[in-house]
Parts: sequence; C-alpha cells; structure tokens
Amino acid sequence: MSSKKSPFKVFQGSQNFRLRVILSILSGKPIKIEKIRSDDLNPGLKDFEVSFLRLIEAVTNGSSIEISYTGTTIIFKPGIIVGGSYTHNCPTSKPVGYFVEPMLYLAPFSKKKFSLLFRGVTASHNDAGIEAIKWGLLPILEKFGVRECALHTLKRGSPPLGGGEVHLVVDSLIAQPITMHELDRPVITAIKGVAYSTRVSPSLVNRMIDGAKKVLKDIGCEVNITADVWRGENSGKSPGWGITLVSETKKNWYIFAECIGDAGDVPEDIGSKAAYHLLEEISNSAVIGRNQLPLAIVYMVIGKEDIGRLRIAKGQIDEKFIILLRDIKHIFGTEVFLKECPDPDSDDYIITIKGIGFTNANKKIA
Amino acid sequence: MEQSNKPHRKSRDNKSTAKKKLHTQGHNAKAFAVSAPGKMARQMQRSSDKNEKKLHVPMVDRTPDDDPPPVIVCVVGPPGTGKTTLIKSLVRRMTKTTLTEIKGPITVVSGKNRRLTFLECPADDLNSMIDVAKIADLVLLMIDGNFGFEMETMEFLNLAQHHGMPRVLGVATHLDLFKSQSTLRASKKRLKHRFWTEVYQGAKLFYLSGVINGRYPDREILNLSRFISVMKFRPLKWRNEHPYLLADRITDLTHPDLIQSKGKQIDRKIALYGYLHGTPLPSVGGTKVHIAGVGDFSISQVEKLPDPCPTPAFQQKLDEYERLKLKEEGSNSSSTPTVRRRKRLDDKDKLIYAPMSDVGGVLMDKDAVYIDIGSKKVNNSQSFVPGQEKGQGEQLVTSLQKVDRSIAENFKNVGLQIFSNGIELHKVDKKGEEEEEDANEEEEINSELDQGRSSLRKPKIYGKSVQEDDLDIDNLPSDEDEDDNVDGDKELELVEIDFHDQNDEKLVPETDSEFELSDGENEETWERAMAGKLNNEIKRKRRWNIGKLIYMENISPDDCIRRWRGEDEEDEEDLEESDIEDDEDFFKKKQTNNTDSKNGQNTEIADLEKFIPYFDTFEKLVEKWSDLSSIRNRFIGSTRSNSADDSNSMDEEEEEVFGDFEDLEADDQENVEEESNNNNNESDDSFADFEEEEKKDLTMEEERKLNAEKKEKFRLQFEIEEGDNFKEDDPDNEYDTWYELQKAKMAKQLEINKAELEEMTPEQRQKIEGFKAGSYVRIVFDDVPMEFIENFEPRFPIIMGGLLPTELKFGVVKARLRRHRWHKKILKTNDPLVLSLGWRRFQTLPIYTTSDSRTRTRMLKYTPEHTYCNANFYGPLCAPNTPFCGVQIVANSDTSGGFRIAATGVVEEIDVDVEIVKKLKLIGYPYKIFKNTAFIKDMFSSAMEVARFEGAQIKTVSGIRGEIKRALSKPEGYFRATFEDKILMSDIIILRSWYPVHIKRFYNPVTSLLLKQKTEWKGVRLTGQIRAALNIPTPSNPDSAYKKIERSDRHFNGLKVPKSIQKELPFKSQIHQMKPQKKKTYMAKRAVVLGGEEKKARSFIQKVLTVSRAKEEKRKAKKADQRKERLKRLAKAEEEKLQKDKEKKKEFFAKNGKKRPYGDDDGGARKKR
Repeated sequence: MSSKKSPFKVFQGSQNFRLRVILSILSGKPIKIEKIRSDDLNPGLKDFEVSFLRLIEAVTNGSSIEISYTGTTIIFKPGIIVGGSYTHNCPTSKPVGYFVEPMLYLAPFSKKKFSLLFRGVTASHNDAGIEAIKWGLLPILEKFGVRECALHTLKRGSPPLGGGEVHLVVDSLIAQPITMHELDRPVITAIKGVAYSTRVSPSLVNRMIDGAKKVLKDIGCEVNITADVWRGENSGKSPGWGITLVSETKKNWYIFAECIGDAGDVPEDIGSKAAYHLLEEISNSAVIGRNQLPLAIVYMVIGKEDIGRLRIAKGQIDEKFIILLRDIKHIFGTEVFLKECPDPDSDDYIITIKGIGFTNANKKIA
Repeated sequence: MEQSNKPHRKSRDNKSTAKKKLHTQGHNAKAFAVSAPGKMARQMQRSSDKNEKKLHVPMVDRTPDDDPPPVIVCVVGPPGTGKTTLIKSLVRRMTKTTLTEIKGPITVVSGKNRRLTFLECPADDLNSMIDVAKIADLVLLMIDGNFGFEMETMEFLNLAQHHGMPRVLGVATHLDLFKSQSTLRASKKRLKHRFWTEVYQGAKLFYLSGVINGRYPDREILNLSRFISVMKFRPLKWRNEHPYLLADRITDLTHPDLIQSKGKQIDRKIALYGYLHGTPLPSVGGTKVHIAGVGDFSISQVEKLPDPCPTPAFQQKLDEYERLKLKEEGSNSSSTPTVRRRKRLDDKDKLIYAPMSDVGGVLMDKDAVYIDIGSKKVNNSQSFVPGQEKGQGEQLVTSLQKVDRSIAENFKNVGLQIFSNGIELHKVDKKGEEEEEDANEEEEINSELDQGRSSLRKPKIYGKSVQEDDLDIDNLPSDEDEDDNVDGDKELELVEIDFHDQNDEKLVPETDSEFELSDGENEETWERAMAGKLNNEIKRKRRWNIGKLIYMENISPDDCIRRWRGEDEEDEEDLEESDIEDDEDFFKKKQTNNTDSKNGQNTEIADLEKFIPYFDTFEKLVEKWSDLSSIRNRFIGSTRSNSADDSNSMDEEEEEVFGDFEDLEADDQENVEEESNNNNNESDDSFADFEEEEKKDLTMEEERKLNAEKKEKFRLQFEIEEGDNFKEDDPDNEYDTWYELQKAKMAKQLEINKAELEEMTPEQRQKIEGFKAGSYVRIVFDDVPMEFIENFEPRFPIIMGGLLPTELKFGVVKARLRRHRWHKKILKTNDPLVLSLGWRRFQTLPIYTTSDSRTRTRMLKYTPEHTYCNANFYGPLCAPNTPFCGVQIVANSDTSGGFRIAATGVVEEIDVDVEIVKKLKLIGYPYKIFKNTAFIKDMFSSAMEVARFEGAQIKTVSGIRGEIKRALSKPEGYFRATFEDKILMSDIIILRSWYPVHIKRFYNPVTSLLLKQKTEWKGVRLTGQIRAALNIPTPSNPDSAYKKIERSDRHFNGLKVPKSIQKELPFKSQIHQMKPQKKKTYMAKRAVVLGGEEKKARSFIQKVLTVSRAKEEKRKAKKADQRKERLKRLAKAEEEKLQKDKEKKKEFFAKNGKKRPYGDDDGGARKKR
C-alpha cells in the first residue's frame, strides 16, 4: 500500500478491451493495458480495436492514447465525453454492434447529444446485432433513466462486405442513472422477433420464422415474429439472413437471442436455434440476459450513492461476470455484494450495488 | 290636493326576518359566505406563499440517523469579540470542564444523540475562514455590539454563502459597555436588522452582556446552548456529495531513524484523526483526498477507531449488548456495572474530547492509549480515582510527568503507553516506531492487558499493539468463520478493546491464506470482532462464498466458477494450496478446460469481447428443450395449458380491474396453482406456503405472523411501492405534490439502503459502504511535506475533503463570475486570483470573457462593473453548478483593510480547452478613391498578408461596408477594395478580426498550512503589485487616453461659379448678387457724441427702465406663482366635482338603474317616445 504506485490502473490481456476503456472514461482514471495478444502470432491491437479507439477519440475531448511500437501496450488517458455527430466507418472485421455497444455506456453522460452514424457490417456471429441493441440494450438504458435513445437502421449490410448504415441517437443527457431495483423474476408475456434477409430470397425469412415458431409454440404465450426483407441499395453488399427473438415482459425487461445464417445453413434450423437459444437464455437468467448484464451492472455502479438491487440467476455468474466485476473493482474500487435470494425455491442471487455517486459533470448548465 | 303617500308594500312571503332569510338555502348562508373576499384571497395567497417558501429542492440526507457525526460549531468573528470566552463558557456549561486554552477542535457531548465540535476560526486568517465556511454546520458569528459588523464578519458571511450557507447564529457581545439603556436598545435593534439583511429575515441574534469569572453569564449561555442543541440542519449539496473530516489530532508516523539519517527534510508519513462527515469514505486504499492548505494526497490507510467521545445513546447500545452477554455467560467479571439510563445526561456522559487542547486527557490510537494527566499545575499527589491511593503504576506514570517536554507542544512526546499495572511501562517518544517492535513483546503485553484497566477511566479506550505493517493480520476476513465467533463469545469484556490476542491468530483458518494475499486493504479489526459476535447465530455451510471468490484476484475466473459450483474433486487439498501453486493451476487449467465440458464452459467463453453468450450445441439444446416444463413458469398463462380453471380467468379479470397491485397476487396465485398442479418447486415467493396453510385452520397468532412476514417482504420492494404509490403520471397516487412524492421516494430508498446494509456483516458493509459519517477514523498519508508537521499550529483547522473522479482531472473551467460589489477594484484578465472552489484553494489566471451573441467567446480585459461575465481558468475540474469565491490576496501583510472577496461565481461548464478570441482591429487609410473602388494603404505590410484576408469584410468609420479585393504588387501591403458607396479620403478603414487567446495553464495551490507564518502565503503577485515593486509605469497607449475632444468648426468655402459659366446659366439659376453699397449710410455719415443733459437724461431713463423691468419681473413671477396655486385649486375642485358627480351617478343608478326590473325595459322606452 505504498503511494508510489504507477499513475495508471494496469490491466493485462486483450480481454474486455472496450469495457476497460469505457470504465476508464467514466471514472476519469488513466489505464494501461499490457500484453495485448503478446503471445499471439499476430501481436498487438487488431484493426477493429484501433478503430474503436478512433471512435473514442472522436466522441471525447482531450483523451490521449499512446500505443506502443508493437501495439501490445496502450496507455489511455481519458478526456471528457463530448459526443456530437460523427460518422464512423467500421472495419468489416467487426460489425457495427461492436462499436455501438460501448457508446451506450457513454452517450447519456456527454456534453452534447450523441448522433453517431456507423457504416459497415450490421450482423455477425459474435457481436451484437442491430435488433439485439435496439430491443435488448436500449430498454436497459431506459430503466436507468435514459429515455430518448434510438438506433435507426438506414441500411443493412451482411457480412462479409457489409455496406450497412445505422444511426445511434441518444437525446437524453442525464446527470445520474436512476437507482434500479428488481427483485422478482418478471413474467414473460410475449415473444416477438424479427427475421431479416438481405439480397436473398424472402422465402428464407418465412422458413426461419416457421422454424422458430415450431419450437416456441408449446410455450403458450404469444409469439410474434415479423419478416423484414431488405431489397435494393439499402440491403448492403452481401447476401445474408438472420433472426432475433426477444421475450417481452410487462415491466419492460427483455431477454433476447439472435442467430444469423451462413451459406449452406438450413433456415428452419437457424430459426429453431434462435428459439432454443432464447429458451436457454431465459432459463439461465432471472431478470436480464447474460449479454445485458455488463450494461446493467456498470450503470448500477455509476449510479447514485444508494443501493440498487438486481436479481440474477445462478447461471449468470460465469467467467465473464467475474472478470467484469474484477475490472469494475479495479477501476472504481466498488465491490458487488451477492446474496442469495430469500426465495427458497430458486437458487437466484441478488446483486446489491452501492453506486459511486458519479455525476455527469460534462453537461453545461443552462 | 291631497298628499299622496307611498302605500305600504306588503311583504311577499312571511320570511321577513333577516334571520329567516339567511336560512333560505337550508343552511346559514352567513356561515359559509365569505365576508371579505379580498382579504381572504390575500390570506390564502400569503399562506401559500409561505408554504412555497418553505420548500427546498428535495435532497437526500446522507448523514446516518444513528450515531451521526458531531455537529461542527464554528465560532467566527473579528479578534477580540470574545470567541474563546464563548467556547469556554459553552464547554463549561456542557461538560463542567474549564478550558485553559483552546487549540484545535473540541468535541463535547451535548445530548443523548448529539455531539458538538467547537472550532474557533482564527480571526486573522482568510484561508482558515474559507476552510471553516466549507465545513461548518453551525456558525456562531461573534459581533462586537459596540462596533457592529466588521470587515471579517462580512467577509465570512459572503464566503459562507458561496459554500452552501451553514446555519448562522449571531452573537452580539460587549453589550455591557453601553452606558444608557436607550442607546443599547437602539443599537441592538440596528444590529438585528443589519444581521437580518445579511442572513435572512428573522435570523436569531443572541445578546451576551458581560463577562463574569471569565465566562459569559450562565443564564445566557444556557439559552444559547439550548438553542444550539435543538437546532436542525439541512443537507448541503457539496457536503452531501463528499466525505470530509475535521482533524482533531495529527501525528507524525515517520520512522525517526529516517529523519535522523536523512535529515528533517524528508517527506513525512502522518496520520490524521477525526470524525468523518458527509458521505462515506471509500474503504479501498488510494482514495484521493485534499487537505486544505496542504495539497492532494492519496490515502494510504484508513481505520476506524473506537469513538473517543461516544454519545450516551451509543454507549447505551453497547452497554445493553454487554449486559446481554453477561446474562448469557453468567457474571465472571463485574468491572463494569451496568447503568440505567436517565433522561438527563449523566455527568459521566458529559464527555469532552480535545486532543489538541489539554483537556479530557485521553488519546486513543490504533495501538495505544495516551493519558494526559493534566498540566503541571495539577496536584500530583492526587490519584486518578478520587479517594483512592495511588497505585504503583499511577505513581510511575505521574512521575514521568516531570519530564521537561510539554505535552501540548510536541506531539511526538505526548503520552504514555499504559500497560497493565505498570509492569510494562513505556515512555513513548515516537509513536511511529513502536509498531516496529517485535511482535512477541506485544503479545506478552496483550495477554496482560485486561487487568490493568480497572483503575483507569471508564471510557472504551483499551489499547492493543498491532504492528503497523502487519497488514496480513488486518486483512483476515473473519466473518465467515465460526472460529471467530467462538472467540468473540469468550471475551465479551473486551468488546472494542483487544481482538488480537494469540488465540485469535491461532484460530484463523489456513484456507484463508488466499484471502490474505488477495485483497490488500485493511479491515477494521474492531469492527471485525463485533461482527464475529453479531454473527454468532449465523451458521454457514462450509462452502465457497461466491462474493468472496469473485474478488480473489489470484484465482482465475474459471477456477472461481468451478470452486463455487463445487465441481472441484480435490477440494480441501486444493484449497490449501498456496497461491503460487494456484497460479500454476491456472495455467494447467487452460488445457484441461478444453476437454472438460461437463459444466458447459469452454475456453471460448474467455473471449469477453464476444457479445453472444455461450450456448450448448444445437443437438443438446434440442434435447434439453424437448420438454419445456422447467421454464414454463416464466411465461404468462403458463397454467392455462395445464388447467384451464376458472380461478385463472378470474385473476385476469382482477388484473384488469385493479391494475398493477393485483397483478402481484395474480402471480402468486399462479404460483400456487403451479405448486399444486405441476409439482414444480419453482414458485416465486413464500406466499404459496401461506395460501396453502390457510387451508388448514390457522390460529390468530400464526396468521398475524404470516401477515407480518408478508409486510416485511413488501416493505423493501421498491418496485411494488412504485406500482402502488410512486407512479408519477398517475393522478391519484397518494402524494399530493411532486415534492411529497420525491420525498417519499428518497425516504424509501434510504430505508432500503439501511436495511440492505444492515443485512451485511460489518466488514462486508464496510467494503460496500465505506467508512460512514460519524465514525472516528485515523487516516494515514505517505509523503506529506515535512513543513506540514514542522510548522504545525493547532490554531489553524486541518480539513480533509474527499475528491470525486471529476475533481481529480485538470482542465479549463468555464464559470459565471461577478466582481463582488464591495470589492473596490474591477478585476483584470490574467491577473492572478485565489479561488476557493470545492475543497481547494488555488491561485490561477482567469480570462474574463463575454459571449458575443453565442457565436464567439470574446475576451474582456476587465470584469464589467455590475454584471456577470464569464471567467475561464485552468484548474481542477469541478461539477457544474458549484459556487466559488475568489480573493486576490490572502496574505495579511498585503491587505489594506478593504473587502477582500474579489469575486463570486458559479461553475458553468468544464472542458479540456476553450476557444477564446480577442478583437483585433486593423486600420488603413485610402490613398486613392474611385467611384466604389478605393486603394488602401497602411493596413498590411506585405502582399502575403493581404492574400490571407482577401474577401474579408471591411468598414469605414462612417459605416460604409466593403471588401478586400486584391493586393497591389507595387507598394507592398497596399490593396484594392470595393465599397458599397464612395468613401472619403478622410475615412479610416477598419478590418475587424478575431485573435485567439490561450489560457495560461497555471495552477498554484495555496499551501498556507505549510508555512511558518500561516497567514502570510504569497503567490504570484498581481500585475499592479509587480509594477509598483519594480517601479514600472503602467503602459498606456496615447491613443487610448481620454482627451478633450476638440472639434474645429468646419469652414465651408463659398461657392464660386466662374464667370464664363455664370453667363451661360439661365436667369432662374443665375446667382444674384447685390453690388456692394457705394453710398455712405445716414448713420455712417454722422458721429454722434452725447453730452450734457442728454447724457444725463439717457442714463436716468435707463435707470428708470431697469427698475421698472425688475419690478415687472417680480410681479410676473408672483403672478406665475399665483397662477400655479390657482390651477392647483382648480384641479382639486375639478377632482372633487368629478368625485361628486361619480357619487351622484352611483347614487342615481343605485336608486334608479337597479330598481327597474328587467322586463320593464321597453315600457320605459315607450314612455320616452
């Protein structure tokens, strides 16, 4: 516990890269990330990570990024979030979701409203698709008081060539996220979804829907999947298709699953796979899904100095979760308190988080 | 003719009496009528105004209700107004202690739940005044009744106002010096009203008459203290967002060897002690704080110490706890008889704690207790315990007093470490090093500790020796271990005394080695042991706690998960591995994990960048979800498929009718049904049991109990409440106003906070919550400048304030600022200004700006006289809306007695940079003018410069606009321009341009506490001061000087038309000119010289005329006056007449206009015809 520490919070490895940068900006503490793929054949930052850092530079003012010669170490000194309008051309190696997702952490706390246009691939196997963000992540923001945020799909662009365009607009600049409490498993009232296709036959879409509906028909609640076929110049450069399913609750909590199809896949299989993923996700989660958890927890951490509570399922405590919490502790110093849900019949946990009392100091007073 | 009288008109009905008439409507009309509607409206207006005035922006009060920190009462005033006397009197009144001198804060117990910290603000130090204004809860503003408000008072009030305005009580003193009663009364009144304008209308001002026995009269002090003790405080925004501490003690922990070997100049390690205020201080190390007057530091260590001045309520709680323990164990030691509490404060409870002054006498440290047995004048032959012989230990202790170093002077020599019965008596020279002593010795000491206590004071002040650096012991997480609980039971005596005896260490389970290594922060030992005790009942299964596992950095995440899920076969052995082995384990695991798929996790999951979570393979999922029954309960209408019974449909109906609330029950009922039908154990709450049990006949008690449980469950559910009451849009929520709703929400959240935190064990709580306000802590800092210690003077308050993340960053602060109207001079851009913003005081170079219709930020050379301008300065950032004040000079020697607060303002925006421009006018002169084109010289010096400005707007002084066209090749810098009209050669051409101004990145913290002469901090001098010192005249542009404008009359030459042209002109346009007269005039021909009679006559006539003219003038003036009078009279008469007319009209219409019934109208008209 000497005070002769390095001025940076030091992280290692390429994991959680975006989140670490985001947390650094939110906390205002400079970070140093070492050993980024240092053992890899192709060491250092990847093009999408560099592109992400560019984006960060564009939406903040005064950030300084130093990348070592090999690209395996970066030093990031955060500036203040300014937002504004900006067009970001995403590399085709990552879809726009990769870049939109971290912006959701920053957008409500900026000086000016966020209006970002992302160009590139709009879907992939590993990153958030447009519907996932629109239906899965934006409602989470809404729970924390960010009411006016929207993601508009101007063009869809399937991998590998992309050519899509999405527009992220976050109009509400809030001072502090609302302290959130959710102790009950909300009851799912309906399942809705979207099956889309670009530059392929619309029949694929209907086949996907059929596949999903077949799995979900036994559940007994309303299933409503819409077809969304993109044609012409708005449909990007490559053919592609996919499906996103979202379970809806009365309290506006959403759990979602998405799948996209590759060449040679059977559309019914993709549809039913998405449906199974949704079921699995529902069974593995209490209030929100696993991929919504980081967003919710970070917002809870930067909330008011009150205690917020969120119920999570046992299955949600996984490595990602642990690394997330460790990163949060490393930067903010806050710990999350896990206690077992008083409900005797479920093995759920309740996360109790005391906010750090973060306030949006960037916004100008009227 | 016979006189005709109006016949008697009979009443239409028999309801003739007034009383009866009133009751026509079935009730007494008068009782419900408004007699004076105007008055009533005014009353209503006033009462609602008053109510509205009472409202404040709802703000969460984060001060804990139980055991709140002491109220900081600052006594402020000019020198000689009786501050010290007042504190002495108040302390004497509250604790029956007579203080000899007042140094540093004095904490006293003033009520069952209230402590006060008295702080005397040094009258001669502006820095201290600023700091005090930031932390004071209550200000006792001393005013000398003979002088009224002095400069310091005004300055302080203005400082306080801009740091959140604490409560202010005025105290007027020296009132006995008034000779006559009437002047006294008048001056009291004057003082009071002046005070009201400064604070608020009706602010309380106390009057203290004279000094008796060195104190103010007891009755008056009693009143004052009563007033103080019932005072309520409103949360202030800044203090509600930051932790802060008023240090009441400071020690130097630097190893003396270091000082000896490296000299005095090395940075010190110091510890500050004090009660925490504001928000909780995070318990993780490295928290950044600011010590006012010293600088920013990161905390290296915090720990909670037993409260040196506990409130009776807190003590009572402890006593009750002890009593309980005693009951459980049977009395084995009766050293502390339990005391029954009374409504009044016991003398014993009237504690005082003032380590810097020489009272109280007990100092508590982390590892030692220091007893000050009074100054030398105390009779040494007396024992501590009255009526008892001096024990051997006591004698030894008192004998040590003869050592010639005085306690108050030198903190390193403060006290004595007392160990049992004086066998182990240490004279402690430096507190810092004794921690370095070897542990064995300490353990010996510890084992003998409890016996020595009975002869000491009652307070909970037992020491324990813990090594300074034995963090690993500190870090033991003991809560979960049953062992610790046993430990706690055994030594109930030592509640907050001594947790570190040997058995404690012995009992630490070996598995905890990982905990020790994992988290590097200190845990509070005292708290921990309490935890152990409180936790007695909790029986925990021997299994990994995920909450702990998550934060054990040396265990890899996947390992965490596996251990937690109990999937480790080699559990016990594995757990006891050292972390090195663990690390190896980590590397091994990676490979094994690939094959290990039983828990469904594989290495892919480690790629956190992947958004889509891990799922099993498709085939497995198909297999798993062929049966959906396991998650069916998550969906609405799940029961419908199983049993389409009527209850469900009824539920739905209810849902529609009653909305959200019923929805809850609907869920429950669904659950019940599930339970019965599905045999599925996944029902959501305990209601199911309730419902089921209801079927059996319940006794009243059972039912009550169940209801209570149900209530308890709902109590802390925010959402349900929200559904019920908190709906903002819902017009019929139970709160009338938005204000009430917000209040209720906050109260609910606070309740939740409290309940949730209480559920945790103390050290968990500390980790989550931090050190909450009201705890007495010791905060250790490394690398503090040695001057702080060397030049320490207890008179000046030491204030430590926590910093939020924003406040750690530096950048440009844009603020709205106004020169204080009492400050004599306007402020100059880039002149240094000492700002008090947030906790910090720093000198910076502000640039004053204004916004030119929001298009640009233009620099101003000086602040405007009476209005706000913007100030931009470099410094630590601070959240917008934070108010601040600025002073130019803080050094006493430089002040001239004027009002020192130069500016006040509020932060508007923060940024990393700002774009400021200043106006730059380039001027040139035309040298050749054509119709609309002109050639301009002297504006630029080269064609290049002109090229830069091609197309730029230019203007003549007379307002003709134009544009720069092209540079001329020949005379360098000359150019061609066009204008909208022909310009004159005498015109001056102006090019208005904007030149960027950069903010100087200058930040100079006011480190006044590091100085020997604390009031003499001098920063960068003002421009004027430098000029004065170096004898440089103020540069002045002669053009800028204001001179008398001399405008010579413009001479226009006459129009001269050449003869040739004149000839050609038509007659009409001919210029007619008279020829000059050639003849001499009559008068010119004669020269008249008066003489004799004529002259006399003329002069006489003149005199007569003069007199008559004067008379006439007088007459006229008089007449004018008379006329005026008359007009006035006339106007009055006219007005009277009008009034009369009006009345007449009124009367007339009252009589005639009304009487005529409505239907009568046409009849009247006919008559007229």
